[in-house]
Amino acid sequence: MIELVQVVKTFQAGLATPFTAVDGVSLSIPEAQITVLKGPSGSGKTTLLTLIGCMARPTSGRIHLHRLPGNVLPQLQAGDSVEITSLPERFLTAIRRRTFGFIFQQFNLIRGISVLENVMLPAYPTGEDHRSVEARAVQRLESLGLGRHLRASVERLSGGEAQRVAIARALINDPTVLIADEPTAHLDSRLSEDFMALMGQFKAAGKTLLITSHDPIVHGSPLADRVVELRDGQIVAEP
Amino acid sequence: MIQHPGILALLLASFLVSLLLVGAGWQGLRILHGWDLKSGSEGQLDLERRTYLVSTLVPFALVIHFLSLFLFIFTADNLHTQFVGAMCAAGSLAVNPFGYPALLANIAVCLVAGMWLILHRADTQGYDYPLIRPKYTLLLGLVPLVLLETWLQTRYLTGLKADVMTSCCGSLFGHGRQGFAAELAGLPPRTMQPAFWATFMLLGLAGLVFLRSRKGARLFALLSLGFLLMAVASLISFFCLYIYALPSHHCPFCLLQREYGFVGYPLYGSLLGGGITGLGVGALAPFRTRKSLVVTLPGLQAKLAWTTLALAALFTLVVGIWMAMSPLRL
Repeated sequence: MIELVQVVKTFQAGLATPFTAVDGVSLSIPEAQITVLKGPSGSGKTTLLTLIGCMARPTSGRIHLHRLPGNVLPQLQAGDSVEITSLPERFLTAIRRRTFGFIFQQFNLIRGISVLENVMLPAYPTGEDHRSVEARAVQRLESLGLGRHLRASVERLSGGEAQRVAIARALINDPTVLIADEPTAHLDSRLSEDFMALMGQFKAAGKTLLITSHDPIVHGSPLADRVVELRDGQIVAEP
Repeated sequence: MIQHPGILALLLASFLVSLLLVGAGWQGLRILHGWDLKSGSEGQLDLERRTYLVSTLVPFALVIHFLSLFLFIFTADNLHTQFVGAMCAAGSLAVNPFGYPALLANIAVCLVAGMWLILHRADTQGYDYPLIRPKYTLLLGLVPLVLLETWLQTRYLTGLKADVMTSCCGSLFGHGRQGFAAELAGLPPRTMQPAFWATFMLLGLAGLVFLRSRKGARLFALLSLGFLLMAVASLISFFCLYIYALPSHHCPFCLLQREYGFVGYPLYGSLLGGGITGLGVGALAPFRTRKSLVVTLPGLQAKLAWTTLALAALFTLVVGIWMAMSPLRL
């Protein structure tokens, strides 16, 4: 579904101290599978995720999304392909919103508002009816065992609960791709295994999962279909 | 040169617009020369980012130009007291040989700039830069036109000298005189009145046909241009007579004065706006089948067609009210 062709990302390009974080990566990420990007800090995993997730543009190279769902852009039909690095920002926003769900390393929940409001937030710009968004958010939270925390403030949650709220938020717009950046960095072993089990459920439901991690519980998990190793911005090992 | 706030603002605006357009034109040249959307090279991605720079600069510059056209007319009208014989902008513009050419160049830039903005708007509706080549080709055509307009306007404004003897509008737009303006003034109202109403009806009919069937975009554009020209000719030939309530005063510039409620501004604004949007409907017609525009372009064309019809109706309504209220009967 996602195809990267010779993707390069150089920070400070043209200045005295350029730094190439991703260096000529070509990769295919299949649908409905778990792909893990592993590698040491500074290997370019997070940069690659931000490029795939339409949060940054590469310096060169192209990224294609194949077999899109039907509701991404009015100009595109279900099953069409689109090249995302050339897209003007307004289209990129629509694709980012409809196609990708993000689970950040620090969870990035917004303090001061409730769990339910945090989960509903990414759906507000879509203009969808508030009640249907709320019903979906409640259903997502209940399925993740957070039904009793709907009105709680996010500051009161444990690490594992906060991560599940972040997962529910990533799922609110029903994306086809879930992107998780070092999701187990702040979790103990049991919670990390729970997280992978949850990812296995999403995979079974047809979601494409892209996870960066150097946690053996993640890249060594039997649920991971593919592990791609990065070092110095380049792919060094791929099964 | 006369030290006048309007003159200084116009000179500043025209130099600023020229500077921005030359910069954008240079980027446009690079884009036209190196554009290859299939390539993922660093150069191509850099060009894609440069399109955003141009998309920000050019609309800003063109909006300044649209405003400066009306400031140009206002300033010319405002300065008429400085020249012997001038009664309105018609006399001010005749003070030196660059006045009328500067006005015409200003209007031409507005029409082309309007086309560019419409193409730009349509281009941004497509996800794959569908109109990148026509848009930047038009931009490269617009740059010399803007430079010509800046040169003419600068020559005109810097060449203004107080107490120069000039012609009044009565002599420029009077019966029995030589020249294009006098010929327009001499067009017979008995012929022009039915011709104007027929053009208005035809435009409305073509607009409704287009809006219902999405066919006849080019015909509608042609009729929009026809209506613009016919409306200007009719304004000079007979609408002015009703507005001034004088059977022999055909000046199209006195309409801009306080005595006539500044009615010239909405009249010329609606004509120019309607001309641009009407021509835009036709300009977009060849691109309707492009895959990334198939969904959005018909909607944009419909909006432009509605705007054209609304502005034509506004013009007709305003002159109609003045005709009805005028004590003059031809």
